[in-house]
Amino acid sequence: MIIAEQKPLEEIKDLVGDAEKVLVAGCGTCVTICFAGGAREAETLAASLRMSTRLDGATKTITDTNIQRQCEWEFLDEQREGILDADVVVSLACGIGVQAMVERFPQAWVVPGVDTSFLGVPAEQGLWEERCAACGECILGITAGICPIARCAKSLLNGPCGGSEDGHCEVDPATPCAWQLIHDRLTSVGRTEILINPQPPKNWKAARDGGPRRIIRDDLRIVAEQE
Amino acid sequence: MVTEAPTNGELAGSRLERLLREGHFVVTAELGPPQSADGAVIRQKAGLLKGTCDAVNITDNQTAIVRMSSIGAGTIVVDEGLEPVIQMTCRDRNRLAIQADLLGAHALGMKNLLCLTGDHQQFGNHPTAKNVFDIDSIQLVQMVAAMRDDKVFQCGEEFEGEEPRFFVGAAAAPFADPVEYRPLRLAKKVAAGVNFIQTQLIYDVEAFAGYMEKVRELGLHEKAYILAGVGPLKSPGMARYMVNNVPGLLVPEALIDRMTQAGAEWVGKSKDELTPEDKKARAAAWKEEGIRICIDLINEIREIQGVAGVHVMAIEWEEAVRPIVEGAGLLPRPEPSGATA
Amino acid sequence: MKARKRIARAQDLLAEIGLEPERVEMFNMSAAMAAEFAAAATEMTERIAEMGPNPLRVHRPESAGG
Repeated sequence: MIIAEQKPLEEIKDLVGDAEKVLVAGCGTCVTICFAGGAREAETLAASLRMSTRLDGATKTITDTNIQRQCEWEFLDEQREGILDADVVVSLACGIGVQAMVERFPQAWVVPGVDTSFLGVPAEQGLWEERCAACGECILGITAGICPIARCAKSLLNGPCGGSEDGHCEVDPATPCAWQLIHDRLTSVGRTEILINPQPPKNWKAARDGGPRRIIRDDLRIVAEQE
Repeated sequence: MVTEAPTNGELAGSRLERLLREGHFVVTAELGPPQSADGAVIRQKAGLLKGTCDAVNITDNQTAIVRMSSIGAGTIVVDEGLEPVIQMTCRDRNRLAIQADLLGAHALGMKNLLCLTGDHQQFGNHPTAKNVFDIDSIQLVQMVAAMRDDKVFQCGEEFEGEEPRFFVGAAAAPFADPVEYRPLRLAKKVAAGVNFIQTQLIYDVEAFAGYMEKVRELGLHEKAYILAGVGPLKSPGMARYMVNNVPGLLVPEALIDRMTQAGAEWVGKSKDELTPEDKKARAAAWKEEGIRICIDLINEIREIQGVAGVHVMAIEWEEAVRPIVEGAGLLPRPEPSGATA
Repeated sequence: MKARKRIARAQDLLAEIGLEPERVEMFNMSAAMAAEFAAAATEMTERIAEMGPNPLRVHRPESAGG
């Protein structure tokens, strides 16, 4: 899922600026699960903003709401009125949610209340780790189910580099060396081809480097049927 | 001027390649370009190294600190009559930039290339930079070998004119983790087409001999020339720092003891008790011992079957190279027999 | 001690908002520690009295007690 982290209150206050009517909008999916921008966080942030701006001597109307999925039109439409009524919407959704709201309601002014961090997994309570880089051409089938694109600091296809130490990455000792993990898993099952044969350069066109990506499924598109 | 591809089986016709092919025990050294645009620094360092080694590595933004470019500095080195080994990392350039720079390097008369993945930018002076890593060191080896042998760019397009010809090297870290995989990763570099290898600094000769044994079992020493990395220690503190902070670097306790012994005269005195003269004398004693240890290491490493030479890394201490090479009985450096003066 | 970490988080939030984090404090004791309980209560009462009333309530007296 998408992992995010709430921005500092000061930064959010700067983004809100002089706006009088502020709507803090949580999102009911990924950001709820990672405790960054669900209903509870929206409520807490609205309360914090209310108190903090009042201490600054400002009088603002700050309310909060929760949208089930900010990345889908139908759920955004449900709250059309509240969104358009606000001078500024602080969206606690990921970057997709913020942009979906702007796209759906071009009249609305929407600012992000969280930093969208990565695609990852709740490794344990209170700990989230990156697992996928959405590079567009999945190689997990040859790397024993461990992604070096997302989990190696250098995204090496022929790792590990010389900076692998005691199973950790020299860039951050708290991060396991992805290639040590790949090496261990491949060795344990005797599938060592990728460890012996040089892997060719990656096609980064499928990743973000090819420009913004889109997927079209004619079998699902309604426009296609009408043509 | 068009340089013809060598017809005698030589790949690039560099001095380094020729000496290795003729079976000489080669010596390469290292020249770190300055963090400035001052070409005089390169000329001064080249002066110190000239005649002490067969080729000199010019580092490429080493440890992710911005320095004069390897090819820029290499041009000065060529002018000074030394043969450069251009270092090229994958951290700062994508496949387009690397190929373009190498076309230029060849046109400027450079014939040796060391392919590196590159230290992560976090360790340098621009930690907020975006890294590239479009390709890695092994793919870089493949790319430059194909440019030379198949006369194609990485995309597969053929060269219309002259192709860049490099004697292609790569690095090896024999003691980095996972240690058991390191000989196999070297095999991967050999499979990619590497011609020579320069290793990480070796202080533990016994461990290195074990590594070389596995390398010989895989027959890698017959497919690529292996140069062992050596370097003088400056102080016991430096040795300990390296052990604790550089992944894959082993320094036996006995060597650290030797360094400590060299400064025994000043042991037990607090910082305040030592006069500036004391400190100077102690530093000199340490450096002398560091050079002696380095000579001993070369002599021991030479005995290991499959080692074709040494790569002397005297980081910001180029003055040390001559006494080391001389002490190891490796002076004067030979001329390749086919060479034109 | 999850509660202690949560109190720390609440204190951070208060500081970010611009209120004194010392307004919230956790005291750890058993049901049998009556004297300690009284002391803690007194300490908090004195501390709050010294800090004065919640500035938010001073600005908006009509919302007091809500």
